[in-house]
Amino acid sequence: MKISRRRFLKLFGGSVTAAAIFQACGIPEKELIVEAPLEMPEDMVSGTDNWYATLSPGESVSSGIVVRVMEGRAKKIEGNPDYPINQGKHNVVAESGLQGLYHPDRISSPRIRRGDRGEGKWEEISWTDALSRISESITNLKKSSGLVLITDPLTSHLSLVINQFVSKFKAKHIQYEVIEDTNLRWAVKNVFKQDRIPDFDIDNSDYVLSFGADFLNTWKSPLRYSRGYSNFREQSIGHGRGTLVYVGSHLSLTGANADKWIYVNPGSEGILAYSISYVLLDKYASELNISDKKDWLKVLSQYSPSKVKEFTGLPESQVEELAHGLAKHKNPLVLGGGTVGAYTNGMQNLEAIYTLNVLLGNLGKKGGVVFNPILPIAMDGFSDLSPDLANSSRIDELKSGDLEILLLRGANPIYGTPGFKSVLSKTPLIVSFSGIMDDSAMMADIILPENHYLEEWGSDIPNPGPGYPTIGFQQPVVRPVFEKRGIHLGTKSFPDVMMALAEIQNIDLELNASNYENVLRNMTDELFKLNRGSIKAKNPRDFWNGVLQRGGWWDVDDKVSNHKIGSTNGPRELTPAKFLGDKNIYPFHLVPFELGSLTDGRGANLPWLQATPDPITTVTWSTWVEINLNKAKELGIKEGDIVKITSEYGEIEAFAYPHPAISPDVLAIPIGQGHESGDRYSSDRGSNVLSILATDKDKDSGAWAWASTRVSISSTGNNLPLSKFENTAPDLSVDAHGHIIKTTSGESK
Amino acid sequence: MSDNSVKTSGKRKWSMAVDIDKCTGCQACVVACQSENNIPINTEDLFKQRRAIQWIRIERYWEGEFPNAKVRFIPLLCQHCDNAPCEPVCPVYATYHNQEGLNVQVYNRCIGSRLCVNNCPYHIRFFNFWEPSWPDSLKNQLNPDVTVRSRGIMEKCTFCIQRIRRTTRESDKNNQQLKDGDRRLNPACVNACPTDALVFGDLNYVDLDTGEKSKVAKLKEESLSKNGRGYKLMGELGTEPNVTYLKKVDADSGHSSHGGDSSHG
Amino acid sequence: MILKLGMLGVAGGIASLFALVMLVFVITAWFGMPLGIFSVVGFNHGPTQPIEFPHDVHVNKIGLDCTFCHRTVTDKAAASIPAVGLCMTCHKTVGGDKEGVQQLREYYSEGQPIDWIRVHRVPDHVRFVHEAHIRFFSGDKNVVTRVTNPSSQITITDALKIDPNIKEGETITVGASQVCSTCHGDVTSMPKVKQVRPLKMADCVNCHRDNNAPTDCATCHY
Repeated sequence: MKISRRRFLKLFGGSVTAAAIFQACGIPEKELIVEAPLEMPEDMVSGTDNWYATLSPGESVSSGIVVRVMEGRAKKIEGNPDYPINQGKHNVVAESGLQGLYHPDRISSPRIRRGDRGEGKWEEISWTDALSRISESITNLKKSSGLVLITDPLTSHLSLVINQFVSKFKAKHIQYEVIEDTNLRWAVKNVFKQDRIPDFDIDNSDYVLSFGADFLNTWKSPLRYSRGYSNFREQSIGHGRGTLVYVGSHLSLTGANADKWIYVNPGSEGILAYSISYVLLDKYASELNISDKKDWLKVLSQYSPSKVKEFTGLPESQVEELAHGLAKHKNPLVLGGGTVGAYTNGMQNLEAIYTLNVLLGNLGKKGGVVFNPILPIAMDGFSDLSPDLANSSRIDELKSGDLEILLLRGANPIYGTPGFKSVLSKTPLIVSFSGIMDDSAMMADIILPENHYLEEWGSDIPNPGPGYPTIGFQQPVVRPVFEKRGIHLGTKSFPDVMMALAEIQNIDLELNASNYENVLRNMTDELFKLNRGSIKAKNPRDFWNGVLQRGGWWDVDDKVSNHKIGSTNGPRELTPAKFLGDKNIYPFHLVPFELGSLTDGRGANLPWLQATPDPITTVTWSTWVEINLNKAKELGIKEGDIVKITSEYGEIEAFAYPHPAISPDVLAIPIGQGHESGDRYSSDRGSNVLSILATDKDKDSGAWAWASTRVSISSTGNNLPLSKFENTAPDLSVDAHGHIIKTTSGESK
Repeated sequence: MSDNSVKTSGKRKWSMAVDIDKCTGCQACVVACQSENNIPINTEDLFKQRRAIQWIRIERYWEGEFPNAKVRFIPLLCQHCDNAPCEPVCPVYATYHNQEGLNVQVYNRCIGSRLCVNNCPYHIRFFNFWEPSWPDSLKNQLNPDVTVRSRGIMEKCTFCIQRIRRTTRESDKNNQQLKDGDRRLNPACVNACPTDALVFGDLNYVDLDTGEKSKVAKLKEESLSKNGRGYKLMGELGTEPNVTYLKKVDADSGHSSHGGDSSHG
Repeated sequence: MILKLGMLGVAGGIASLFALVMLVFVITAWFGMPLGIFSVVGFNHGPTQPIEFPHDVHVNKIGLDCTFCHRTVTDKAAASIPAVGLCMTCHKTVGGDKEGVQQLREYYSEGQPIDWIRVHRVPDHVRFVHEAHIRFFSGDKNVVTRVTNPSSQITITDALKIDPNIKEGETITVGASQVCSTCHGDVTSMPKVKQVRPLKMADCVNCHRDNNAPTDCATCHY
């Protein structure tokens, strides 16, 4: 006798209720049911976990992660012990990927704008509908260059796909960074004659001098440098405990951990570098074996320590001490970045700084600057971000060009580039691939939400690499969260969508693959044919499995052996940095800085990142301005006061935080809040310091000089409690000597 | 399996070593712990009321002022004291010291008297003043191995006891020794720390193949010897913590710390 | 004679009734069974399942081992209910005349998972691991009179239940399935599964104490 499902429910509904009454008192009915699924996949048994290797994208490099998956849900992220970049470690950004995957405000289907741009009124449409609309607009393009694609910096396979798309469509492609690295890339190209950013071997160094590069927190490849820092500080290793000196206008995390933090007047770091070079050539030339470069002293003599005192504010003895430290240590290393490369003379500064490495002779040596080789395979060819055109200039170009269709992916220029909104008003169609409603998506006309990276295939060639060729592989660790909405809704993979668009337009991208996963598989055959590296397999299929299992492929034996870099450019005269704003009206230098949690603002929609205290001030969920303690007293500003920071370009409000470790001439404000977005955690919160920055460019490279703004401060008269973590627990103050007892290292610098 | 004996070199004693010289203050351990242990999201309100919960936190201490200001970071977590002041005061015996050296918090027994918070000199115990809540989709991330605490329950670092239980049971089942440094055993914070400032292990561990002691045992022994950097946090209180701290090295010879201003405002 | 019950009298009556119930509760809770059998799911009466699965037929008559279906009991915390696909390995051909098998086939063809009603349940704050218990009781055991080192020994009384000819001092191999009835009772003879042990904390702790198993709170509550 056939019994319908409904009858089953009626039949046992009774006994379930009865059981519920008796057991009752708060046990939900679902607890009383054990569901037997149709078939039992191996990891669906309750309590079993499986760890899958994939990649977590970072601001510059992706880190290798392993994700714990239980019953189809991602539960925990940890570092992949095999991946050369982070070697098993991970940071707050990698950990928070889980919240991005399960974010309550994720966009679950394509949308079309109803109402005005920015109003936030949307209607759900199907993928077919959305893609046909876009396709129609592409067909009706007046000029092929009217199609503009702005993406985050792409490497490896994704770069390959998009490059094909852009070249076949004859479109324009801008790779966008908020905090652009253009000047660093120029410095690397001009000083080291390399296209790839080298690996800085902090691991084996014994003396690191960093000019503004917050390498323990946000600069380039912080996890790799932190791993190296561990050995750097390890007392038991051959060279003993390493010494870290940090030069910068703001006490970053790296500065906080340094043995010495040296403050110089903002913009004069390049001068300091040349000053040190002068001392090295003057006093230590034979020791360092650089007597052949003595002709540099002709230019460098104007940067002798006594002559630069008025520019840097540093006494001569300090410069001599730095030079002495560099000369006397076996494996010195000099780094530069951050604000130092973000003045109007930023590129020159960085060139001066990296030239120090040439004088110290640490190129290609352990503990020094290790170059990164390039693999002779197609996917590696697309992984260089050319410094020739700084993206700020390209964004500026957009303002004057004829922009017809703008595709945005992994880039939030409305937030990151002041004045970008003027570009929008001239663009008939704006499409965003964002999976969550960020500032740029809010202004779009069509949203095509892409998969979260934990649901995606992909690969990454890290730049900077670890000194040998490395390709990380990304695989989906869970089924797409919105898969249940069917194939016409839900999220899709960005490269798959681009490939589909090309197909709709009848353009052959010549990728020989039907979808992105197959692009990866095909290209991996090339890797397999190299017949070397970390994965040994008998056939391409096993190779593919091996690569996915370990999270990537690398070849530790393939190093750059030729370190002859030909003739190095000698030093050239530095142009002083220009600051926007009259010194009398705007007395302070504004230093915007990145937090390890929010980075360039992309982390603001994740609650864990918002709740991560800034290590030095412990402030969370807000925008604050760090002002010197005594200066604050002088101006009558207390902690928690709402103050106005004004530049020639605009003004913002922030919480005042009187700070014992900042110069009285500087105000520092973290980047990352002040979004005009649509998700609950980032919207209506804080201020966007980027919006009041001068748009001046580096005079040589055209890169945005985001550290060249002067500001003034004034109190609004309001005071609110500050969201911070310190004082949540009483201080440990039992020990008379302070609870952190210090010892001195055996040798001084 | 014929032999049900547990493959271990002896009774376990869990311990941690924290190297303050290597800690960069990056907060990776803080977020890793929150992810692993279903810690409620610390909203802005919680911070403003100074009720934010972080089982492991990085305390920041200032010394001096610009231009000679120095910052000190010290990671602070439950010390799992052998002579814990929090244990004798619980009226319902919800916290006690177990045979493996852990200070255990039994959530279902806790009635929220908060006498233990009061007594802890390190202030590493946190109370749920409000009912923790997550938006429905974020609940997918919660760890099923860890109890989700409700309002009125005390919570604190457990050295990721769920990982200890899982891995010791699995190694017993497979009749293999649980090796020192096993990433499945290490607490979430230890696995996250980019500089390996946190080291976790069994003080009584002896590798059955090589005879080696655990890394944490070696660190403890070596650092607490005459020239070592080791010390116990507020050790003079007699709490006998199971966490050994390694002092920060200050290259400025002769410079000693004076209490310093720990916070401002 | 009319009993005059004033408001106070009624209130007093209710209060004393309440006090009596509380007293019964406390006393039974002390002995590990608050309000007795009423509050235990499936106790002494098995719930009616979506399909009337007879254990006696499958185990006694056909000879299936417990672990054939409940596969992860020697491996994981949960014993696990088998997937519908496992049932279908036999029942796609066998037993088509039975109503239960027809219902099963309908579930499978419609792609519906079967929602079995849970019989044994411990509260959320308890973490019970099957694997450790199976491992403890099963394997090769020395037969003794008294259990002194329980992990490798078994009492003569229990050994005799498995092999009536066994003698003290000999070794007996206890299969995983022979352990299940310790807590779940004689499931092999149950047409409808019901709970036979209270499985309250007292039950667990007493057995742990008797067998030198850990009585540390953190063994199950963490």
